[in-house]
Amino acid sequence: MSLQKSWGELETMARAARLVIDTLDILEEASVPGTTTLELDRIAREAIEKAGARPAFLGYRGFPGTLCSSVNEEIVHGIPGSRKLREGDIIGLDLGCILGGFFGDSARTVGVGRVSDDASQLMNVTREALHAGIEQCCPDKRVGDIGHAVQTHAESHGYTVVREFVGHGIGTNLHEEPQVPNYGPPGRRERLVPGMCLAIEPMVNVGGPEVEVLADGWTAVTRDRRLSAHFEYAVAVTKHGPWILSEPYPYGQLEAEAVNA
Amino acid sequence: MPEPAEREALEVEGTVRELLPNALYRVELVSEERPSVTAHVAGGTSPTRLRPGDGVVVAITPFDAGRGRIVRRR
Repeated sequence: MSLQKSWGELETMARAARLVIDTLDILEEASVPGTTTLELDRIAREAIEKAGARPAFLGYRGFPGTLCSSVNEEIVHGIPGSRKLREGDIIGLDLGCILGGFFGDSARTVGVGRVSDDASQLMNVTREALHAGIEQCCPDKRVGDIGHAVQTHAESHGYTVVREFVGHGIGTNLHEEPQVPNYGPPGRRERLVPGMCLAIEPMVNVGGPEVEVLADGWTAVTRDRRLSAHFEYAVAVTKHGPWILSEPYPYGQLEAEAVNA
Repeated sequence: MPEPAEREALEVEGTVRELLPNALYRVELVSEERPSVTAHVAGGTSPTRLRPGDGVVVAITPFDAGRGRIVRRR
């Protein structure tokens, strides 16, 4: 386990992260009524391979797809298949790639056509909760501060956060230490240090937080079958604060070299 | 892609109700669905003496809700 990445490694991480985001943009465009999740999976795989990268999820612990596509009450880990998207659905698109030896991993939930106000509110709050967590990614904060910020924001809108699945460190492996829960007391767990890369990924439910995994061994759904949304970014802790790796380095080029010093 | 959460032992407060053989105790739990657990004392062979009525904190493994580990007094 190597927690801290050098500046050069972070740059490679950023390229992988950006490829995932670019591909998610294409997938978001393609998420229209009538598309099947298998077609989205094919688009994702082609885009990643065309860029000279490899899908990160395909074959990971036996996962059969490039993309995790999770529709409506599906929280995460949905297996792409013949399911056709319908107007008003919301679909979680979770994608990972390996580029230059490093992993990119990001997710967003998008509406298919026009969605209900309840659904778009859920998606907005989940995205905000993710950013509340990202703001905590400063040196000397703790992993627990991230989860606390996410949970506080989601629950202030009457939603619940999923406990059974958590965010994770990311780098030369898809899942590295530490685990990053989306709940819990602040000030606990591992101390954040510059060069650490974390995949922060709140999963927020309209109803209860309970999870059920379907017979396929992957698809996680809400036990009460109510809506769930999921957003994820890979974030580096720098001495100046958080860097969402798919975005340009936000603290100026001069300091860039010293990010890890 | 989220990772399945590691399952952690849960710490709950309780009160010793009964001394059992083999250095085990029956501990009544405060605010739990399950009223009591069979618990042993953490810390190997240390001769910790607990008596009925003593307040303790018990770590309960997610794998067996009927068993606990007494981590400290309260």
